[in-house]
Amino acid sequence: MASTIIGAGITIEGEISTDEDVVVAGTVRGKLTAKEAVTIEHGATVEADVQGGSLVVGGSLTGNVTASERVDLQSGSRVIGNVKAARVTIADGAQFKGNVDMDV
Amino acid sequence: MPMTPARPQPRTPVHGGRSSGESEARISRGARVRGRITGTGDLVIEGQVEGDVNVRGDLTIAEGATVTSPSVGAGAVTIAGTLEGNVAATGPVRLGPSARVRGDLQGTAVAIDDGARFAGRLDCEFELPPELGGASQGESRGRASARR
Amino acid sequence: MASNVTVIGKSTRVRGRVHGPGDIEVQGLVDGEVSVTGDVTLALHGMVGAGIKGRKLVIRGAVKGDLVADEAILLEDGARVVGDLRAPRVAIGVGALVRGYVETGEEGSSSARARTQTAARAAPVAATHAPERPHTPARAPAPAQAKVAAPPARAQASGATNSGPRRPPPPVVPVLKGAKGQIAKKKER
Repeated sequence: MASTIIGAGITIEGEISTDEDVVVAGTVRGKLTAKEAVTIEHGATVEADVQGGSLVVGGSLTGNVTASERVDLQSGSRVIGNVKAARVTIADGAQFKGNVDMDV
Repeated sequence: MPMTPARPQPRTPVHGGRSSGESEARISRGARVRGRITGTGDLVIEGQVEGDVNVRGDLTIAEGATVTSPSVGAGAVTIAGTLEGNVAATGPVRLGPSARVRGDLQGTAVAIDDGARFAGRLDCEFELPPELGGASQGESRGRASARR
Repeated sequence: MASNVTVIGKSTRVRGRVHGPGDIEVQGLVDGEVSVTGDVTLALHGMVGAGIKGRKLVIRGAVKGDLVADEAILLEDGARVVGDLRAPRVAIGVGALVRGYVETGEEGSSSARARTQTAARAAPVAATHAPERPHTPARAPAPAQAKVAAPPARAQASGATNSGPRRPPPPVVPVLKGAKGQIAKKKER
């Protein structure tokens, strides 16, 4: 399946919705709704509520997250917001502030 | 002494026969016409023309030619020279790389080759997809873009 | 992962602005302005609902907005654009459909950018070239015959052409050269 890639330096202000995988290396402000995998790379900045199949966060995310499968916060990531997913992992070195809801 | 053109009558009818180009009318390189040109066949302009041009066949403005006209009407229009004026074609309009055109172009299709110089409007008939609003009633932001 | 390539995939819809350094390829829909420093490619089924700005724009999809490029705008078969095009080089391929004002040459894109930033900067460009109808150039003589029915602004810019029946009008070419050709020759290609 094709991917949507938001390159480093690129800023999207608004709402993004997609059926594809999404990789964010730049900045997204607004809302991100995906059906499949969402990856927020190290160095990326997301100020938005994010919905996806699965979510891997390596960068900065401020907003609420809902994933149908899993959310993984990697070392170096910085997340402020509520996370709701069937499975959640928060790696050593991840900074997280918010609620975790695994009752999906 | 200024070069007075061998001035024909104000109206220069050009009978070029069918628009298949079999008998093509030609205004050669050194010629200069001031006045209206009308005709039923094809027309090739290699010289200088000032005035309305209206032929039923195809029109070619060759490289090196200069046409200044409030209104150019023809079937297919091919421009490799200089044109100042509006074109209303019943066929396609094509600007070659050496074309220099200032005026509005209207035709079944308009193609502008890389290298051509152009300033003017294009008005093709078509609709945008529904996601972009579908039928855009011939709008364009000619002057609106100045606000940006 | 490539750092400065952005791809808006086929099933992605963005409602908002996209801007920044780098290149971008739009295969889906962006309902908002796209403004990047690099190249913009709009795929055949891609759509942009507002203006596009970049260095080089290759358009194969649909756009409802103005296209402004620092280098070139290339419209290919399948392109449908309602909006103005301004760039030093503009090529419109067979099959591309446009409804709007098109302007090639340095003044085209530079004056468009000047208007984006400061209106004042556009003045010297407009005086020489007078591309915009509202900028009625004050200086050019109004040709009485008004043989060129095109908007007065354009006729004015080459006002030297229609100097009256006394002597043969100088060809249009030198005027175009003065306005665009010389500048273009220096910088273009």
